[in-house]
Amino acid sequence: MKPDDQKITWVREPRLGPTGRSFLPLFVQGLMTTLRHLFRRKQTVQSPETRHASPDPLLYRGVHRLNWDDQGRVKCVACFLCATACPSHCIDIIAAESPWPDREKYPESFTIDELRCIFCGMCEEACPVDAIELTSFYDLSGKSREEMIFDKEKLLSVYDQTKNTEPMRTRRIER
Amino acid sequence: MPHLLAISIIAVVLGAVGVALMLPRGAARGRLLGGLLGAVALGLTLSQLPRVGQWANDALFLVLAAVTVVSAVGAVTFRNPVYCAIWFGQSLLGVAGLMLVAGAQFLAVATVVIYAGAILVTFLFVLMLAQPEGRAAYDRVSFEGPMAAATGIVIVGLLSITIGGVLSAGPMEHHSAQAMATGVLAPQHVARLGDELFGRHLLAVEVAGTLLLVALVGAAVIVRLAADRMSDRQSAADGASAPTLRGGRSVAAESVADRPS
Amino acid sequence: MIVTLLEPLLKIVLLLAALMTACAYLVLVERWMAAWVQDRLGPNRVGIPLTRVRLFGLGQPLADGIKLLTKAQITPSHVDKALFIVAPMAIFVAALAAFAVIPFGSVIPTEGLPAAWRLPKQISLVVAPGMDVGMVYVYAVGSVAVYGVVLGGWASNDKYSFLGGMRSSAQLISYELPLGLGILGVVLATGSLRLDAIIHQQAASGAWNVFTQPLGFVVFCVAGFAEAARLPFDLPEAEQELVGGYHTEYSGIKLVMYMVAEFLHMITASFLIVILFLGGWHLWGVTGAGNEVSWPIALVRIIVLLGKVMVVILFFMLARWSWPRFRFDQLMDIGWKVMIPWGLVNVVAIAAWIEFGGRLSAVVGLSPIVAMALGNGCVLILCWLATVVADPTSIDNRPRRALPVVGQVGQPRPGGNPPCGKTTDRVL
Repeated sequence: MKPDDQKITWVREPRLGPTGRSFLPLFVQGLMTTLRHLFRRKQTVQSPETRHASPDPLLYRGVHRLNWDDQGRVKCVACFLCATACPSHCIDIIAAESPWPDREKYPESFTIDELRCIFCGMCEEACPVDAIELTSFYDLSGKSREEMIFDKEKLLSVYDQTKNTEPMRTRRIER
Repeated sequence: MPHLLAISIIAVVLGAVGVALMLPRGAARGRLLGGLLGAVALGLTLSQLPRVGQWANDALFLVLAAVTVVSAVGAVTFRNPVYCAIWFGQSLLGVAGLMLVAGAQFLAVATVVIYAGAILVTFLFVLMLAQPEGRAAYDRVSFEGPMAAATGIVIVGLLSITIGGVLSAGPMEHHSAQAMATGVLAPQHVARLGDELFGRHLLAVEVAGTLLLVALVGAAVIVRLAADRMSDRQSAADGASAPTLRGGRSVAAESVADRPS
Repeated sequence: MIVTLLEPLLKIVLLLAALMTACAYLVLVERWMAAWVQDRLGPNRVGIPLTRVRLFGLGQPLADGIKLLTKAQITPSHVDKALFIVAPMAIFVAALAAFAVIPFGSVIPTEGLPAAWRLPKQISLVVAPGMDVGMVYVYAVGSVAVYGVVLGGWASNDKYSFLGGMRSSAQLISYELPLGLGILGVVLATGSLRLDAIIHQQAASGAWNVFTQPLGFVVFCVAGFAEAARLPFDLPEAEQELVGGYHTEYSGIKLVMYMVAEFLHMITASFLIVILFLGGWHLWGVTGAGNEVSWPIALVRIIVLLGKVMVVILFFMLARWSWPRFRFDQLMDIGWKVMIPWGLVNVVAIAAWIEFGGRLSAVVGLSPIVAMALGNGCVLILCWLATVVADPTSIDNRPRRALPVVGQVGQPRPGGNPPCGKTTDRVL
């Protein structure tokens, strides 16, 4: 881009006012700001000893869980709606013939790659039977990538761990 | 002492041939041989130098001298101009170290400030901005290599003979004692230097300073004139769109003068 | 003989150990300051290794060091190998070499020590006490340090590194002038280039140079900040613009060398500010001013000097978060159009005072020191007011060629518009 390009609009920098030109007030102002903050109460929450105020379990989007129904069966019917809705393609379902009469399929395997997941909650939105839900667990860690691929048992165990603290998000429609 | 003289002459000639071989030429033949010859010459010279006294001082002097000479050779024989600049800087550091060993603290430090600090940085600017990629012919081939080496022989030979004459007059201790007595190495040598410069040589210092100032102003004027001429030519090339106004002042000159302040 | 050799060696070892430890812990202090200014807590976890003792995070430097030393050392294939390795060494050596002449205390007496060691009556706490031109030496070594930056930037063969190196060299060259002018006033007043002589002069008169030469102090401080490349002058490695500046391509131990060298520059600048302007080890009524000292006084002097240096370093760190970074043209404007004129005025004022000050203060009826402080304070205020009125840093970066006259924006000039884009005085 040359300086005589017709597309350039050249602007003269505005002159500083007397405060800006004398530097000193701004100098003091900046110093006062930092000094004030230096002795202010700190905002840091020292996790893991103290935790953030518990996020609202109905709103927060953390680790997924797979819900059991009241007869001890996986609620999921392997309809693939969540896998279809997932923008990061982290849900992998293998469906099989259902052993129960009230549904056609059930997930033989259900894995979520938590490292790919962006925790958008689309799967939860998409699920027609409220089988997949996001919990308020946020400090997720593992020592290998394989460990972070959650299979069906692990996802169901998340439900076991959180069922007391976090109720089902959508009330079950009584039939 | 004919023995010493013979060895000195051999060393100087060997060094000159070595440097001439190492100078960048079209084909890079004989550089290794040149380096070997140079190393032999350096070893011969250093081995013939009189000892100062303490082994620590001797070692310091020999190391610094070797660094200085090797760096100087590197400065003329490397092809990459940036490397040449670095070698030159290192050679100057070596010289500064020698001066420090000799007790001339101010000269040593001033050398570093002036050469290593100012000139070399400017030098690097020029090198980097002028030739970022690829080397020009004048970087790849050095002209008049043998002639330069011969000139080097003459200078080094004359210096050796002169210094040898001084050294043969008496042992080193005698000289340093003499220097101490006459106050050359007095603790107040900075003050003495200032006194000399601004007392006895005041006129020379002032003339040199004025000359430099005039040169600086002249350079600025020349640049300014060239820029104005350039923009005049540009205006002429732009034709009727930018005529000269008010009795020959160019648009550029006018607009610079009328710049909002 | 052995002891006389051992004495400087011991000083060197002590100084090196102290400097390296200080660098490591100053990094921690810097991180703490950064955190506190931003209402955070900062590093507070790492304590004694292999235990659960936390010690306010005092183990953090060790962990940082181990991490950096064991990291992969990447040498990109496109770099100039030799210079890539030499550059960090050059800057590191230059940064350390400055401490050869910087005193880290006054003197320590050798009374109780065995006479067989044949020590001098006092040991001065400088590595090279015989250096008569200490101030110029620091200056020279500082100019060598530019090499590390420029070579590192060039050898990396990377545009960010190169830009950082170029910026750095331009900045360091520009600010060496005001730095020298600030030093010159002090050297004129002292009549010596020795750093310990400068401290002694301030201690003897009881008036620190910051009072008698306030203008020189301001010039030197600003130039010192710029030479140490600390915010608000950290253009060479402005993260937001240049990734990492001249050390973008460096990793592992070479990066550590660069970072330690930068911290050493800051420590050097702090030492110089304290020694040249803040009285060195002198504190009224505590340390005394003479050259004959007992052990307690010697220790107190060391503590006072290091305490002052620490305060200046803390100010450096606080300044980092207090003011935004200058733009490069502003940096150059402040250097060339403000600081160099101020420095020249300072030198002239000090020289004039040395020539006429005695008579002048006798006429006015004040003691010379008070009169000098008042006079140079007035010079500082006058310089400042002149700068405020003249406003030399306000710039107009529109193209110089064919700028339209103010007030005629948009009006066609005779013969058509100038051959460039629109220009406007409108504030966008």
